[in-house]
Amino acid sequence: MEKYTFVITEKPDAARRIALALDIKEKPKKMEENGVPYYVAERDREIVVVPALGHLYTVAEERKGRSQYPVFDFKWVPRYVAEKSARQVRTWIDAIAKLARNADVFIDACDYDIEGSIIGYSILKYACDGKDQMSKRMKYSTLTKEELEKSYAEPLPHLDFALIEAGLARHEVDWLFGINLSRALTVAAKDWSGKYTTLSTGRVQGPTLKFVAVREKAIRSFVPTPYWEITAEVEINGKVFEAQYEKEKIETKYEADAVLNACETKDGKIEKIEVKQFQQPPPLPFDLGALQSEAYNLFGYTPSRTSKIAQCLYLDALISYPRTSSQKLPPAINYEAILKNLSKASQYRSLTARLLACPELKPREGSREDPAHPAIYPTGDLPARVLEDSERRIWDLVIRRFMVVFSEPALKQSMKTHININGHRFLLNGRRILKEGWMHFYEPYVRSEEMILPPMEEGQTVTVKKMMLINKFTKPPSRYNPSSILRKMEETEIGTKATRAETIQTLYDRKYVQGEKLTATDLGLEVLEVMEKYCPTVVSIKFTRELEEKMNRIQTNNQKKEKVLAEALEILKPVVEKLKKNQKVIGEQLSEAIRKSRTDERIIGSCPVCKTGELAVLYSRKTGKRFVGCTNYFKGLCKTSFPLPQRGVIKPLAKGCRGCGWPTVQVLARGRRAWTICFNPRCPLKEGREKKE
Amino acid sequence: MKCKACSREAGENGYCELHMKAHENVIGKYKVWQEAMRIPWKEYLSEIVKNPLTGEWAREAAESMIKSGEKQDGTSN
Repeated sequence: MEKYTFVITEKPDAARRIALALDIKEKPKKMEENGVPYYVAERDREIVVVPALGHLYTVAEERKGRSQYPVFDFKWVPRYVAEKSARQVRTWIDAIAKLARNADVFIDACDYDIEGSIIGYSILKYACDGKDQMSKRMKYSTLTKEELEKSYAEPLPHLDFALIEAGLARHEVDWLFGINLSRALTVAAKDWSGKYTTLSTGRVQGPTLKFVAVREKAIRSFVPTPYWEITAEVEINGKVFEAQYEKEKIETKYEADAVLNACETKDGKIEKIEVKQFQQPPPLPFDLGALQSEAYNLFGYTPSRTSKIAQCLYLDALISYPRTSSQKLPPAINYEAILKNLSKASQYRSLTARLLACPELKPREGSREDPAHPAIYPTGDLPARVLEDSERRIWDLVIRRFMVVFSEPALKQSMKTHININGHRFLLNGRRILKEGWMHFYEPYVRSEEMILPPMEEGQTVTVKKMMLINKFTKPPSRYNPSSILRKMEETEIGTKATRAETIQTLYDRKYVQGEKLTATDLGLEVLEVMEKYCPTVVSIKFTRELEEKMNRIQTNNQKKEKVLAEALEILKPVVEKLKKNQKVIGEQLSEAIRKSRTDERIIGSCPVCKTGELAVLYSRKTGKRFVGCTNYFKGLCKTSFPLPQRGVIKPLAKGCRGCGWPTVQVLARGRRAWTICFNPRCPLKEGREKKE
Repeated sequence: MKCKACSREAGENGYCELHMKAHENVIGKYKVWQEAMRIPWKEYLSEIVKNPLTGEWAREAAESMIKSGEKQDGTSN
């Protein structure tokens, strides 16, 4: 049998696209090995492109024991060995091993980043019998035919072993911290309460929870203080405007009253007009964090959703590799060709034409660099299928941001008018755009309000129509949202661009946080309190960042993986010992929080009948069936109860019924559309429905 | 000893770790309120209990102070 080139990719979609690009006729053969798809492309020789399914290998303990800790001995194993749910991985590995047997050239074509490098390396090492040492590496940032052909023709001579070592270190350190700390918490709670609840924490998860918890504590302990604002409604050239008193916050009622009394019934005089022109440069090219942040602000997409959408667009060769931290767009990507290709889409034709008419295309770039990939940019390819709304929005956002970086700054004018009313100064601020510049290209996404003031002169008299005194209170700090917590993680350099969104999701999954504005639950606060009491180092941002730096140094060959692991273990061992020693106290503390969290989950709202209890999902002591009843039901104080469907998940809704305000639940049952139940038998909405029927 | 505002274990001043900071805030911010609007202590406590911007723990601490008649110097009636 003739030998062939074996190309391993990260996912089936990438395999298809790579095979399509490399096949001379652009018609690779789709084959299957025991249900595992792969592609055969013809070029100078036969190329077999085989996909992985993301990570096929993972870190696991040497000896199995679900509730044993501490665990410091580990090995890399196929994922099906460590995870029950990963059974299909066995078939996948067997197929890869079989296809690798007749190959004589090996190429790793997984994504060029830490995760991709580990996926390729572990497969070549374990499934392909040590071919990691002879494998070449394809490096590309887009899945376009041109770039794939080039990276195949000029592969790197070997794998990026420094990147792999850094990745292995990251996985191993994270595993050591995660498994030991999570088990310590889970076992402590189970031994105390007898009930199993998965609790977890880790090297990145702990400090992230800390950000949310610290904010939550500040909000819950917040005491507002009063202040006053004064606004003067003034008429200038027949139009009415609101001018603000120069002191934005007046701290005492006495002072506020004095200003108000002095200004009422008096006219004002324009004392000074300050006009300033300034340039607003275009925004920077997108790195993943900036794209996630912008997509959240504009469309309300969570960072993990944006990341998934961007990954789909990348696999469709519409945008470049999204998991990048670069703010640079090198000329090698060929700005002009991309813009020319984009001009084939009618909605971008006039915009690209404007840029292409410029004598030079020079992008505005940020300072951050990523050795593996440039900032996110459109490839210029147009969609070969109808994009979903969310995909179309992200694609458009990436295209417009790409165009923006080549365009001119916007020119704006600010105007500050000082109005003197009986010795007190009020300010009237105006802003206008003189030249749109980049804003023209980013038009649907620009948030800029103009406030155009009429022509005025210094010395001009203005009529004060009304004076307004507003009593306000200081506000607590805002809660993080999925975008701002991600930015905080970036700023403090904890986690990686590929894992941050996942870490935030884990906080939700563990019920440590809830709501769109991240609200730490009592369970989250309790877990953090335990961590801070018994292992403050683990949740310290300083420690996490230092460890990140050490791991980054492995990537640049300035640090050895073994040394980083040994140092991490030195910190972890005493921490785990301390947790074990205090297991009983920790168990009691966490169990109480878990019990409360479970109770809270069942609460639907306050009882509209007795008004002292709360409506909750209860279970009949006789039949075991569930129903909604007042928490005073079993005490015999309130007999309020309502039937519930016995199948499906019951989710209490935060909003009361729109017809009567009574508490409501949503029922989510398999195969049916979710429906809402209002428990009020006399709900006007029900009456309306009955009449219709 | 249980916390004056919840069922957690209390520290020296009768409040748990969570309510302790809130209690400090309630006492600390009175000076600002007093200067701003010359408000007596009891009225101040009622105001912050009513205010929707007051944090949950601060409200609970203020309620327990109203109940126990705690003064701004920490003593009770």
